[in-house]
Amino acid sequence: MKQLRNAARRDVLRAASAVTGSVLLGLSTLTSARTLDEVVASKKIVFGVNPTLPPLGIFNDKNEIDGFDVDVARRIGELLGVKTEIVQVGSPDRIPFVSSGKIDAVLGAMTITPERQKVIDFTVPVHTEVLGVLTTKAKPYKDWMELNDPSVKLVEVRGATPVKLVQEKLPKAQLLLLDNYPDAVRAIAQGRADAMIDVMDFMTEHTRKHKIDWRIVDAPIEVYFCAIGVQKGNDALRDKLNGAIKQLHANGYIDERWKKWFGGPMLHDPRTAPGYK
Amino acid sequence: MQFDFSPVLERLPYLAAGAWLSLQIAFLAFSLGMVIGLAGASVRAYGPRWARALVGAYVVFFTNTPQLIQIFFIFFALPDAGILLSPYQAVLIGMTLNAGAYLAEIQRAGFESVRRPELEAAETLGFSRLQTIRYVILPHIIRVLFPPLSNQYILMTLGTSMAAVFGVEELTGRAYNINAETFRSIEVFSVAAVFYIVITLIATLSLAFIGKRFFRAKMRWF
Repeated sequence: MKQLRNAARRDVLRAASAVTGSVLLGLSTLTSARTLDEVVASKKIVFGVNPTLPPLGIFNDKNEIDGFDVDVARRIGELLGVKTEIVQVGSPDRIPFVSSGKIDAVLGAMTITPERQKVIDFTVPVHTEVLGVLTTKAKPYKDWMELNDPSVKLVEVRGATPVKLVQEKLPKAQLLLLDNYPDAVRAIAQGRADAMIDVMDFMTEHTRKHKIDWRIVDAPIEVYFCAIGVQKGNDALRDKLNGAIKQLHANGYIDERWKKWFGGPMLHDPRTAPGYK
Repeated sequence: MQFDFSPVLERLPYLAAGAWLSLQIAFLAFSLGMVIGLAGASVRAYGPRWARALVGAYVVFFTNTPQLIQIFFIFFALPDAGILLSPYQAVLIGMTLNAGAYLAEIQRAGFESVRRPELEAAETLGFSRLQTIRYVILPHIIRVLFPPLSNQYILMTLGTSMAAVFGVEELTGRAYNINAETFRSIEVFSVAAVFYIVITLIATLSLAFIGKRFFRAKMRWF
């Protein structure tokens, strides 16, 4: 259920990633990541950011990588007293980049999953993503299972991951498939559809273009905790990053950057993650 | 490159139902367009000056803008004016209005092809107005009009693929959906193309048969 916008691209690249991945994973046994001491001594930390996940990572008009992740990476660099270097990574190669030590840490919608935890280690969460139901105040839905009804008109984006979820769990609802997010969100705004299931954080840039009373159903379908990934066993660096992230949560920096890039507050507090102290 | 048609073949009934919907849209839009076209052509041939100008403006607008943009307007802009149409309705209305404009022009050409001496001959023979229409005008018009009308019908059948953009699950829309699920692009779109060839070939052949058999129209089989 992650990186819905890149679902198609991701699958196309799956074969390529398998090749790159195995090559880079092969290297990882040879190359060890830099320790915290080495990072501090070199006065430089290298973060991988995926520029295809706006507004987490985007190319700005100067063709530099920018976005929420870049702001967080740079501020963490400042807290560590080192320069921050941003390296472009893609969805399929970002984990191999960390595990092979080509980069010190990776950002970019890195959801903490058991599969990934076998290969890399995660810091405490930087942000969350909420898979939920977008609807309007005029509609009564309190839980997503209420949408499994023949009178409910759902709209989804063709090829996005929630389509499968809708077809399996909400087979009774009517389903309209459109080609992109602006059209799907407009379908709800114009009353053509009642609701949509997707990662709600990325909907703000579309919903704010329509002056209607939007509502996100309170009960989320699922919450993803997204963190920074480091090489397995690089504990000193990870502890240091944990401290920096907690500081940025406490002083409101992450909240403020999130509002700037996403146009609204984060929907779910990342500090509710299990094990966050 | 390896091809795997099995995910597409599994969904063949799903595609076939989409093709059936494509046929329905084309047939309905064509039939309704014929009515609009006949009215428009009559007005342009025999109507008062202001009505002729009005129909002229309609024809110029709809034959000189892309059909896709016309449907975009009906689908996305009309709701802001309080008119909310389902994707199917929007596409059907858009295609009907577009077809009406083209068919008005085609039928007008048919009207104009009736030669004055033939009408005068009918009058001399003492035909009533109805008899003139039934035995002189209609056979002549149909013979002239049948080939371009058939072409228009085929074009409209292929044009229904635009409905996919608006979420109508006709043949192309369903091909898109299968493509999004299976990523077997070449396979699914080749199968969709075969469906289109089959439905247009059936239409071409039956129209050519009807035209030759009943209206002595000059038509080629392909």
